[in-house]
Amino acid sequence: MQVQVRLFATYREIVGAGQLAWTLRDGTTVGQLVEAVLAKYPRLVGHGNHMLLAVNHEVVRPDSVLMEGDEVALLPPVSGGA
Amino acid sequence: MIEIQRARIDIKAVVSSVRRDDAGAIVVFLGSVRSDPEVQALDYEVYKPMALRTLTELVERAKEKFGALEMSIVHRVGRVPVGGDSVVLACAAAHRSEAFAACAWAMDEVKRIVPIWKTEAGPRTPRSRRGRKVP
Repeated sequence: MQVQVRLFATYREIVGAGQLAWTLRDGTTVGQLVEAVLAKYPRLVGHGNHMLLAVNHEVVRPDSVLMEGDEVALLPPVSGGA
Repeated sequence: MIEIQRARIDIKAVVSSVRRDDAGAIVVFLGSVRSDPEVQALDYEVYKPMALRTLTELVERAKEKFGALEMSIVHRVGRVPVGGDSVVLACAAAHRSEAFAACAWAMDEVKRIVPIWKTEAGPRTPRSRRGRKVP
């Protein structure tokens, strides 16, 4: 199955893209996807502990199972406001 | 009114959006870009669909938690120069204590959970890499 991975701010700068298409085996969890992304982009590794995860615009736990077509967002610590 | 926009925020329109006859208090918060020798502007990036959803949910929670009658939040995206307002939050309640409390809580939540990120743009910041993250 395929999912879309969205990256923002620091993560987008590190990876060099804001969106990646990622092919996974059925039953893959969000946490396993993140491990695969970190393995491909090791400069993200130091940021892993502060990463917030969202699927289809909702915050999820790493053990959430992904479905075909899901939009997975890897979110750095937010900093809205002035 | 929940909006994320590039354009300057119309503060009067935000205030009007929460005004109602049973509200005895309206508290308005403006988050403005402050001057600093190294900062000419702040650049905001947003994950818009999630930000709109999160803002909508936190407004509902503010109403439940504090008895706020109405709340509007408008946040800018893109470049906001020093002196510009990057966020405007207006809250109406029957009395000022609920309005102040709901406004303060909601603004803390905006900074804590809404997927918006800012970077500083300074005099020596190249356009391709506009500075360090601002906490």
